[in-house]
Amino acid sequence: MKSSKTIKMIAGIILLSIITFAFMPAPKKITIKGSDTMVILAQKWAEVYMKSHPEVSLQVTGGGSGTGISALINGATDICNASRPMKQSEIDKLKERYGSLGVEIRCAKDGITVYLNESNPVKELSIKQLSGIYTGTIKNWKEVGGPDETIKLYGRENSSGTYVFFQENVVKGDYAASCQTLPGTAAVVNAVKNDKYGIGYGGAAYSKGVKQCLVKKDDKSPAYAPSAETIKNGSYPISRYLYMYLRNRPTGEMKNYIDWILGPEGQKLVVDQGYFPVK
Amino acid sequence: MNMKKIPLSILFLGMLVFLAPTQFVKAQSSVDTLAPQVTTLRDKISGVEDRLATAEADLAKLTKIKFSGYVQAQWQHFEAANVFPSNYLTIRRARFKLQYEPAKGVVFVLQPDFQPSNFVIKEAYTRINEPWLKSFSLWVGKFNRPNYEVEYSSSDLEALERSRVITTLYPGEYAIGAKLEYTPPSFPLKIQLAIFNGNDGQVIPDATGANQNAADNKDFDNYKDLMGRLTYAFKLGRWGGLTIGAHGYYGAVRATTDTLLKSDYIKNKVVKVGSALNRNWVGVEAQFFVDVLGGLVLKGEYITGVNAFPGFNSTTSSTSFTSAVNTTKDTVTQTYSTLKTTSIAPNIQRNFSGFYVYLVKNIGKRNQFTIRYDQFDPNTKLAGGDLGVAAYKASSTKTTTTKNTFGAAGNVLVNKEVNTTVVNNSLTSGTADLAYSQITLAWSYYFDDNIKISLAYDIPMNEKAGTAGKVLSGSYSAPGGISSKYDYSNLIHQNVLTLRFQAKF
Repeated sequence: MKSSKTIKMIAGIILLSIITFAFMPAPKKITIKGSDTMVILAQKWAEVYMKSHPEVSLQVTGGGSGTGISALINGATDICNASRPMKQSEIDKLKERYGSLGVEIRCAKDGITVYLNESNPVKELSIKQLSGIYTGTIKNWKEVGGPDETIKLYGRENSSGTYVFFQENVVKGDYAASCQTLPGTAAVVNAVKNDKYGIGYGGAAYSKGVKQCLVKKDDKSPAYAPSAETIKNGSYPISRYLYMYLRNRPTGEMKNYIDWILGPEGQKLVVDQGYFPVK
Repeated sequence: MNMKKIPLSILFLGMLVFLAPTQFVKAQSSVDTLAPQVTTLRDKISGVEDRLATAEADLAKLTKIKFSGYVQAQWQHFEAANVFPSNYLTIRRARFKLQYEPAKGVVFVLQPDFQPSNFVIKEAYTRINEPWLKSFSLWVGKFNRPNYEVEYSSSDLEALERSRVITTLYPGEYAIGAKLEYTPPSFPLKIQLAIFNGNDGQVIPDATGANQNAADNKDFDNYKDLMGRLTYAFKLGRWGGLTIGAHGYYGAVRATTDTLLKSDYIKNKVVKVGSALNRNWVGVEAQFFVDVLGGLVLKGEYITGVNAFPGFNSTTSSTSFTSAVNTTKDTVTQTYSTLKTTSIAPNIQRNFSGFYVYLVKNIGKRNQFTIRYDQFDPNTKLAGGDLGVAAYKASSTKTTTTKNTFGAAGNVLVNKEVNTTVVNNSLTSGTADLAYSQITLAWSYYFDDNIKISLAYDIPMNEKAGTAGKVLSGSYSAPGGISSKYDYSNLIHQNVLTLRFQAKF
């Protein structure tokens, strides 16, 4: 019958296309977009890898974890760097669009550092005090053992994974309206460096020119600075994984690159850049 | 001491004495000149800061408003004989969604649907998210009924349209009601409980059988419908995930006649007009995501239960007069005949079942192939051979005659009143009980996240109905005004090819 032939023909075309497209080789140009916390590390990875693999082109940009995840969902990037896990709503969008839950790869560890100006006499703060400061309930340094000066808050924009992570794990509420939004950890560090009474937060790798505040879980616990040891043994209270997300399991050149990142060479660069190895 | 140096020293000192104040005066004069300039600049910066603060405050308000929408324009070719023209361009959907968050945790959503001849409000609701556990949300207004394929965005449908069981049970997708949702942030469980008027998109006949629910979004009875749905998502390591769920519907429509017919067209009972006709069903669903050379999705749903349809009745009356003269007996007979016919379609509950299965394969970032098979049997108690045969008939005829005779012999007038009441209480099974299955083959190409083009071929297959000597058929007008009939004892060719272009923002 005519319709039976038509069905068979269409089904055959679809099956042939699936087989053909499934075995097409992966592209050699790989785009990587996302976390500003990871951008310097990602650029270093790309630079070193391309030296030994000149046939591969790696393009790295920042924009924030949220921007990177959106780019992953709309197909604008191959790899997304993120300093926070994907939200369920983002995974749902990936499911609907690509029929995939995404592939999460932990590639490094980071200790969220609280930056203080080097001339600020305050040396340590508890999680509760940090929450009070960033929600605006603690407004003056004298409330936390410092001088009688107003606390100036610096933070990141809401597309930043660092912003989200710090909010969920430290602030546990809404950021104070007075918190200045800055584009990137480097900008936060710069602001605190030039503001005697400023406070900011960001990745450990960026804390040059500012003082790292020691952080304690509660008033009775000892305070720690982020280091390989304190992050590994969990004593530093604000540590997190850094992630790479892909739409599907990597193949070809993408798999080779990711395997290299997770291998000894890539992880050495993690340490060199001021982060901590994933294992 | 060198005497020559003394005058030089004095000269130098003198210069200092005279020039220093001058320089000081000059410096002071520069400072005095700069001071007002600095003040002016400071004032300007302060003004810019004020304007920036105002602009930031306005921008903060604007970021609370989100616009989205999409347009689907398509060309379709129909292979069915009763469709004329057999191919045309149309706008399938043109939707625009406005979302406004006036305060944290409160969201207003409005979504009109623009059609070439009118527009309707598809969605209009308020959602309140509780801030403590960040798990509960309350929805009030017109929103999607809690069902997987219903809630799946029309812009993302892989087979371009929803399956027959879903479009039959949940016509129009959206309904007016209230819903409580529980979605804990770090646990893959979702629970939805909703209450609806229950008539959105349904055909609600009035006494004459005309649909009284064509335009208004109001309720027609005191019975509210309840829906509940629960889903749980499992992660399957690095391979993918599995989401399973179930939903239930508990509702009723109002009986409009006093007979309730069951699905076999035999069992029936007397019901009170206005009483509840239950319509209840349950469904199970599963979506399996696996990463096999790109995303692969196998998903499906099965729903079974009882659906209810109110009946209708209408009465017509006709009167006739005849007069007969019998000259032999000098008698005039006048007969007034009244025929009152009441046509009743009984209320009916039909046992149904339906399911759909999708296989979706994504290739790379841009290509997506879909095969869907769906089936819907609106009456599981009747086989194909029963259709058009199974019928309920409870007709009756009653005639009363009143006769009055006036006058004596030789001059008689006879008045006869004949009142006949006919009640046709019947319903014959037919195309409303016909099962359908369908295969849909589709391919979509994504230019980017906003633009895609899709090609789909629908192959509907009707249940073969009819029995020896009795064939279920339906009539239609073919092009040219020629009437013809569908013979449902055969597979009727009704395939549809759709080429759709979608732009989304």
